[in-house]
Amino acid sequence: MTLSYFRSLAWADYFINALVDPRNLFRIFARKDAKPFGMSFIIPALLAITEILSISLLGSESSFFYYKISYGWILFFLIIILKLIISASLMDMIAQFFGFNGRIKELVSILNYSLLPGVFLLPIIYIFKIMNFAPLFFYFLFTLLLTIWSAFIAIQGISEMHSTGFGRALFIYLFPSIFALLFTFFIIILLIISGVGFFFG
Amino acid sequence: MDRNRKILASILALLILSIIMAVTDITFRIQDTEKRGIKAGMPQIGPGVGIIRIEGPINMSSGAGLVGVKSQVERIIDRLDSLSRNSDIKALVVRINSPGGTVAATQEIYQKIWKLRKKNIPIVASMGDIAASGGYYAASACNYIIANHGTITGSIGVIAFSPNLKGLFEKLGIKMNVIKSGNYKDILSSHRDLTKEEFAMLQKMIDSSYRKFLKDIALGRNMNQSEIEPYADGRIMTGEEALNYKLIDELGTFEDAIDKARRLAKLDENSPVYDEVKTPVEQILMSLEGMLKWNNIFKEKYPGSGNYRLEYRYLP
Repeated sequence: MTLSYFRSLAWADYFINALVDPRNLFRIFARKDAKPFGMSFIIPALLAITEILSISLLGSESSFFYYKISYGWILFFLIIILKLIISASLMDMIAQFFGFNGRIKELVSILNYSLLPGVFLLPIIYIFKIMNFAPLFFYFLFTLLLTIWSAFIAIQGISEMHSTGFGRALFIYLFPSIFALLFTFFIIILLIISGVGFFFG
Repeated sequence: MDRNRKILASILALLILSIIMAVTDITFRIQDTEKRGIKAGMPQIGPGVGIIRIEGPINMSSGAGLVGVKSQVERIIDRLDSLSRNSDIKALVVRINSPGGTVAATQEIYQKIWKLRKKNIPIVASMGDIAASGGYYAASACNYIIANHGTITGSIGVIAFSPNLKGLFEKLGIKMNVIKSGNYKDILSSHRDLTKEEFAMLQKMIDSSYRKFLKDIALGRNMNQSEIEPYADGRIMTGEEALNYKLIDELGTFEDAIDKARRLAKLDENSPVYDEVKTPVEQILMSLEGMLKWNNIFKEKYPGSGNYRLEYRYLP
């Protein structure tokens, strides 16, 4: 990324479109001069920093406080990336099941950019923390609201990428969560069956 | 599009600014902790001594202030609560630098410390420049009291007063129109003399609060009320005199109090000290709160002006 590219503010288009027009964001990806993939990882890194700082500001005074701000964000960043790659893989898998082309790289970029609203949590929470006005409540409230916004960006992006309707894009987006829920449910069932067999068999 | 790009760049710049502010805030916390003798580079873990600070006049404001800063009593009780929930806190040191304050606020702090003492958490009071009246009341709830040689303490008693401006009002030709539902509704009004009945009524309240003061001190110090009563006439005294009267247990510094707390809790001599940390933002807000409450400052300087209350307070 050259300095002239940075000064041109062309990179800002990704962020603007992620926030205001997620469908156009995907159309920008298709441009020849676009470099969305590498740059998209700035957002999870930024999110990890802002999230860990928000938690640190809200957290009580403990020795862990000092660790979490120094190393915690790296761990948090790695967790976000891992979660994102697994989610993208599952989304791409179900998209292919629906007959769409596999486009994991673009999907990872979209999911990365969709995390952008989350970075605004820190300034919001900081205000409530300074005012000492139910910061924890607003932390959860805004986390929820910003997560919904993030989901909306991702769904719009997926819908544009596969030229499909909102409903199918929503299903693709929710598939990893549904999969995780079903997986957990069956694990619990199997554990119960094993437990019953062990104790009463 | 160019305009949008600039707007977004500005938003991102603000975001980065908030990150820098948050990091600075946290860094100052760490530095502040270092200043108080706690190593932040190597965070301390494990059983240790928690510090609670009671500073300035003790009073309760009505909830959060103008900029959301909690009242001193709420802050102290929150701090005591959070320390009591922390499994690493094996002993407490209550650092007192206060001339006392309102009766109810002081009693709340006393009761909170007493409850913790009942849970067998060793609590040591360390007196700073002044721990008189309500400041001493709070200290008496602790297991052990350490004061400096020159600490001003004592002042065991209750006070309530109001200025009598009747003469001034008459001189200026000001007359007050008072419509009241009962005889005593304007008790302690500054525009008239106190009646004998009102005086007796107030004296009864003062005596009742005084008896409670004595009773609680006797309970906290494990003494008879009769042993304290000769010195509980409102007199102030130095730490040394207080030791002679058995109102404190030892002469020493804040560090001595921490060491004593460690010994009482059978902690290692290098065990960590978990001090109260105010962030720079909180400090600025508290100063701002003080400035915004100019009315309170006026009352602080001229206590008779309005808002009458009973106080366990040393008022020179």
